[in-house]
Amino acid sequence: MIKPTGSEIRVASPLKAWASRFALLLLIGAAFGLMLIGRTNTLLVEDTRTAVTDMVTPILNAVSQPVDTFSGIIDQAESFTRLSAENQALKEQNARLLQWQAVARRLEAENAALRGLNNMVPDPAMSYVTARVVGDPGGAFVRTVLINAGERNGVEKGQAAITGDGLAGRVAEVGLRSARVLLLTDINSRVPVVVGAARDRAVLAGDNTNAPELLYLGPTAKVQAGDYVTTSGHGGVFPPGLPIGVVSAVSEKGVRVKPFVDWAHMEVLRIVDYEMTGILDFEAQVGAARAAAVAGNPQ
Amino acid sequence: MRQEDGLWHRLDLVARSISPFFVTLLLVLLGLLPLRIADLSPIVPALALIGVFFWSVHRPDLMPVWAVFVIGFLQDLLTGSVLGPGIVGLLIAHALVVWQHRFFLAASFAVIWVAFMLVAAAALGAIWLLNCIALLAYVDPAPLFFQYLVTMAFYPCLAWAFLRGQRLFHR
Repeated sequence: MIKPTGSEIRVASPLKAWASRFALLLLIGAAFGLMLIGRTNTLLVEDTRTAVTDMVTPILNAVSQPVDTFSGIIDQAESFTRLSAENQALKEQNARLLQWQAVARRLEAENAALRGLNNMVPDPAMSYVTARVVGDPGGAFVRTVLINAGERNGVEKGQAAITGDGLAGRVAEVGLRSARVLLLTDINSRVPVVVGAARDRAVLAGDNTNAPELLYLGPTAKVQAGDYVTTSGHGGVFPPGLPIGVVSAVSEKGVRVKPFVDWAHMEVLRIVDYEMTGILDFEAQVGAARAAAVAGNPQ
Repeated sequence: MRQEDGLWHRLDLVARSISPFFVTLLLVLLGLLPLRIADLSPIVPALALIGVFFWSVHRPDLMPVWAVFVIGFLQDLLTGSVLGPGIVGLLIAHALVVWQHRFFLAASFAVIWVAFMLVAAAALGAIWLLNCIALLAYVDPAPLFFQYLVTMAFYPCLAWAFLRGQRLFHR
């Protein structure tokens, strides 16, 4: 198609061919070396990775915005076609949710009263950092996304990433202005959870499919399809009670969970800052709560 | 005036000689964009593989082996996968093309496409195997197979665009 140029003919000379073969072998060897380094010195690889990701994130941030706008327009056009049906469904849902709101208010008040009676240690306060999803590498081997917030926005390694629907994953790597979130479905993801009304403990393990698996369920645990799965808070990194999904299949091969998060429309993630804010703050809160409790019951 | 001409000419030459490398890097970035289309994420086409293959076939002088290595290195870092398998996959694709260089000189577009199917199969197969070894786990190859099919479908579109670009450059 394209005529051989002078340089191509020169490459054909035996010496050059030998040298290029040597270079190829050397570089393949280097790639295997990098694989080994990745397993033994993960910190070095992680630092390099976050440095490169930090450089690229501003570009991704700029380019992904029109993509978002475009997909937003498509979504909008789609929703126009079923506007009246959706309206009807939303009205019904609204009526149902208003009932639930009344129930939740009553339970919240009751809960607060009971906590006060028992002098219960309050949960540490949560704060949020909201970030846009700017990168989704895809592929068969990883389930991660890149967000446009990092160290300077207060994002830290290990924090939970949630959407309005539920838990999406946890922060795995943090750069200065970007971070990588390891999704629940990734093969390296492990999240301590509780299942169903009996609150059986288990670990939710991803395997790169859309339905992660429940591991280490106790022998007495009775899990059925439709049971709710929430974070347990064990390990102290994730706040307890974050919704994750429902059990979708129970079989000999294992228990599968369908997460609530809509992976295709995950445009914004909230990073939950919990517990890791520092033990000093936490103790101050406990002290304040105790003082308030004592002041409330002067006996 | 003449000196300026020389400078522009040289800049032009430099731009031409590094464009395959940068266009392929751009493809790596393009692969990272979140497209928000249901179930597409696991099967995004291996765009960098297309870029490396195309220029290894048509302009091997502009896609040297070290450039392939750097592209693979940055791709593995950015996608967040294990560092290494992606580099080896691209190097294998490059090596296969260089090895059969004479065959590609006379080949038509369709023949090169068929050759790409074989080369991509070898490259993605190697990537899958190395990832399984590195993760110490059996990774379901089904998404990879669909990724392979999508990559096949993307090849003619991208190759056509590259060829057009090349003709513009070398008028």
